[in-house]
Amino acid sequence: MNFFARFAQNRGALVGLIILLAIILMAILAPLLFPESPWRMVQRPFLPPLETEGFPLGTDTMGRNVAAGLMHGAWVSLLIGLVSTTVALAIGVPLGAIAGYYGGLVDDALMRFTEFFQTIPNFALAIVLVAIMQPSITSIVLAIAIVSWPPVARLVRAEFMSLRHREYVEAARLVGQTNATIILRQILPNTLSPIIVLASLMVATAILLESALSFLGLGDPNVMSWGYMIGAARTVIRQAWWLSFFPGVAILLTVLALNLVGEGLDDALNPKLARERS
Amino acid sequence: MLYARLIVSRLFKAVIVLFMIIIFNFFLIQMAPGDPAAILAGEAGATDAEFLRQLTERFGLDQPLHVQLWRYVSGVAMLDFGFSYRQQVPVLDLILARLPATLLLTGTAFVLSLVLGIVAGSLAAARVKKPSGSLIMALALVFYATPLFWVALMAVVLFSVYLDWLPAYGMYTVGAGLEGFAFALDVGKHLILPATTLALFFMAIYTRMTRASMLEAAQQDFVKTARAKGLKNSVIQRRHILRNALLPIITLAGLQAGQMVGGAILTETVFAWPGIGRLMFEALQQRDYNLLLGIFFFSAALVIVFNIITDLVYRLADPRIKEAS
Amino acid sequence: MKTPLAIAIAAAFTASSAFAEEPKAGGTIDTIIQPEPPGLVLGMIQNAPTRTVAGNIYEGLLRYTTDLEPQPQLAESWEVSDDGRTWTFHLREDVTWHDGEPFTAEDVVFSADVFHRELNPSARAVLQHVEAIEATDDHTVVFTLEKPFGPFLISFEAGTFTMVPKHIYEGTEFRDNEANNHPIGTGPFKFDNWDRGTVIQLVKNEDYYEEDLPYLDGINWHIIPDGASRAVAYENGTVDVLPYGTVENFDIPRLTELDNTCVTEQGHEYFSPFAMLWMNNREGPTADKRFRQAVMYAMDREFARDVLWNGLGQVPLGAFGSNARFQNDDLEPYDHDPDRARELLDEMGYDGEEVRLLPLPYGETWTRWAEAVQQNLKEVGINVRTEATDVGGWNQRLGDWDYDLAFTYLYQYGDPALGISRTYLSSNIEKGSPWNNVEGYENERVDELFDQAATAFPDEEREALYHEVQEILQEDVPVGWLLELGFPTIYRCDVKNLVTSGVGVNDGFKDAWLDR
Repeated sequence: MNFFARFAQNRGALVGLIILLAIILMAILAPLLFPESPWRMVQRPFLPPLETEGFPLGTDTMGRNVAAGLMHGAWVSLLIGLVSTTVALAIGVPLGAIAGYYGGLVDDALMRFTEFFQTIPNFALAIVLVAIMQPSITSIVLAIAIVSWPPVARLVRAEFMSLRHREYVEAARLVGQTNATIILRQILPNTLSPIIVLASLMVATAILLESALSFLGLGDPNVMSWGYMIGAARTVIRQAWWLSFFPGVAILLTVLALNLVGEGLDDALNPKLARERS
Repeated sequence: MLYARLIVSRLFKAVIVLFMIIIFNFFLIQMAPGDPAAILAGEAGATDAEFLRQLTERFGLDQPLHVQLWRYVSGVAMLDFGFSYRQQVPVLDLILARLPATLLLTGTAFVLSLVLGIVAGSLAAARVKKPSGSLIMALALVFYATPLFWVALMAVVLFSVYLDWLPAYGMYTVGAGLEGFAFALDVGKHLILPATTLALFFMAIYTRMTRASMLEAAQQDFVKTARAKGLKNSVIQRRHILRNALLPIITLAGLQAGQMVGGAILTETVFAWPGIGRLMFEALQQRDYNLLLGIFFFSAALVIVFNIITDLVYRLADPRIKEAS
Repeated sequence: MKTPLAIAIAAAFTASSAFAEEPKAGGTIDTIIQPEPPGLVLGMIQNAPTRTVAGNIYEGLLRYTTDLEPQPQLAESWEVSDDGRTWTFHLREDVTWHDGEPFTAEDVVFSADVFHRELNPSARAVLQHVEAIEATDDHTVVFTLEKPFGPFLISFEAGTFTMVPKHIYEGTEFRDNEANNHPIGTGPFKFDNWDRGTVIQLVKNEDYYEEDLPYLDGINWHIIPDGASRAVAYENGTVDVLPYGTVENFDIPRLTELDNTCVTEQGHEYFSPFAMLWMNNREGPTADKRFRQAVMYAMDREFARDVLWNGLGQVPLGAFGSNARFQNDDLEPYDHDPDRARELLDEMGYDGEEVRLLPLPYGETWTRWAEAVQQNLKEVGINVRTEATDVGGWNQRLGDWDYDLAFTYLYQYGDPALGISRTYLSSNIEKGSPWNNVEGYENERVDELFDQAATAFPDEEREALYHEVQEILQEDVPVGWLLELGFPTIYRCDVKNLVTSGVGVNDGFKDAWLDR
């Protein structure tokens, strides 16, 4: 069975993929459908959805088009999710690989370091980091990455530990390949599937984290993200439910889709496990 | 004996980690722009150079950084966490006054999420191919994907404003003068919404984890043996599968403790729960260094204690793990 | 355009004085304090929440009407010498502190000359003009000034010149005094209990010297950190009064439509909060006067008032607010005129250089406002980037002059010499504070006029000087004048007599009573 067929066997994953593609499409189409800045105040404030032509989702506290914000926000939220996950992987994978491959003291030191980051409550650290660097896309991405790499390091370490004594690794060592080559060429490719699965979940968590930061007023004021939209709408949640409802649903669907896709990937990449599970 | 030695060694490690956290956070906080003197002066609406100088000197912020650090660390060693700049009371008093609230909230949420998660997860595992099992998993996924603060806000709107069943905020009814059981009942009522919203996300995690590891355990040989012996399915589920599936969940739960303390920041803010999560956010905004450091210290300590407890429970649940590590 | 809310308030003003009912004694009021104050010793701490709570515990020598006319409080009467330099205050003789000790002239001298000189920057601004303070007998105090000082008599409000007990503070380290946890004042309410993070409770001062007052048995100040929860607390009846700043502006119209709900903008006349846009006069495009004028024309200040502030407040003509004394009405207004803004930008040859805008980190309304201004400026071709900060970051950036445009708001303190000149005097340029002449405006003539006006006597002389200075400022636009803020207090209509003075939000509960 090929990869996609295995993936598609998981119905949920298929649904997730479709949702995700739709959201990506939204992000791509945003500048075409709503060429104007989503920050423009274009109509009366607090127009409810479906009542005025051109404003299917209504307008916000200052008369900005919610639909435009939602579309442009898709781009921002996905970007924040992807970039911060990439940064987290860039920290976690090397640390985990080195710890798992070399073991011993190196492992001990690196794991203490990892534990240290896991001991400080995640969200608290993220808040402090954003406050220190002051809210901007860069600081938010960095803060999310810094609090979310430890699980990556742990996972990669565990994989490396179980793989480092495999025959093909020993063989590579015997033919004189350097440690770096063995790590990059021999072991790392074999750890990719769990990393990919974890990464898809991390993108989801990053989007949730960004929205929580925005909720506390720590979002970037220059980009319209879903988290920003909820944060800005929370004070009017009672008189204008749609302002926080639509971006809330958007976050929910995206995170849901990413999780479903993650599960599908897991099934597709680990066919043995998938069969056992169903 | 074994446990005693284990606890001592874990505690020793914990002290080192806490010490590192103090130093790390000390420098981290110093990097934040602005200082508490300027913020307090700003709040006063009027200020002059003399006022700023007095505050800076009073807070010891005119000293070189290493002197400040030394003062702080040697203070903490004597369990003296200094004064809160803003509130002008000892940090320890402030934290100890707020800590029980956070313990009550996170503890309740922790137990709630674990119990409900395991129950839902094992139900889902037992109904693996039935619609009811899928429904449980779909719900868990939705809870997992919903922003915590959003659930909290919606819960307030629904249960406090429209239905008027539960109080929207706070920890007890101010001015009611309740005592004893009535007071406990009052606090319990206030606890329902924040604890449930905080628990939902974690419950979703445990549900998924329980189901996965139960399905995995069901494939093990001893289960097949039990089935061959003709034991009833429910007995097998409970005694053999669940028991084995619990181990990874306990480990995970320990790791989630830190997350839960973090999540408490949002929950406490929305529900005006007077805990340290909320205090932390306020302290950060005020650049109340001493207070912020103190809270970091205590929340890290909390996480460590959670970890040690889960570690012990893990060993109790699985006697096979002795001193393997 | 005035919104229905603003009209409702206007109607409430005229109606409230028409009824004189017999006050009823009894009952406890539940209200909110946001944020939680750092402490309650007024005089030692001057931030807004401390003033609001402790204004009921402590008192000043005088009180002020909503027209800022001085009224007797701890001082029964006062007189000034013909040269405007010697002020004599006659104190009430029946006043005791909350611990039973009598209040005397010695307390006044100690408070002003020792306590405030050491601790209180806003009192120091006045005290620097005071040569000597003497108690001539137990109930008479004489202040001698170096020169006449225009705003002298306006400075005796409880929050600025708090009377603190000499017998408790003399000879101690003020900030470490144990009594700080249990403030002792002369006011209508006594401190009872502070459950941090939850509630501050005050109880009636049974021995209060004004007959029948206060009517209330006590006040509970609830502490609720989230804006939405605060609104819920009012809706479900937990609290009866929402002081200014406790709910987000967007919630106000909805709350005011509830049954039995009244709203007043009064009680801020002394402070007259004035929102401004700092513009860095030192460098970048904002150093050019034409650019600053363009900003004024580009901003739609009426939109901001109507949409963001629910129609409350007033778009100011220039540097002096409408509540300020000596306002010059003949100035050329800056109306919303994007075309004029574009012309000015063309004229100066603005090349699209990026300008950084710092919002005020005081909640949602301010964030939204910055977004609106950013959009206004973009529409006339100004390239704006918003840089978010928290309070600490904002203080630091402004103190270091590291900004191009920045929001702020300042209190007017009843007199230009206290609340307005500080923004424009070149002697007030000093790094490290976000509350002085942050924009870096320097104009010798303006300095001269402000200095003369502060010590001119009598008022007619001051007026001429202030009118001239306003003309210069109107042309130079050292800062942008955004809005004289209207801070509403929302309360149940059966809470009577809630705001009775020009600082009413802070000392209002003295006269309040419940019609239940």
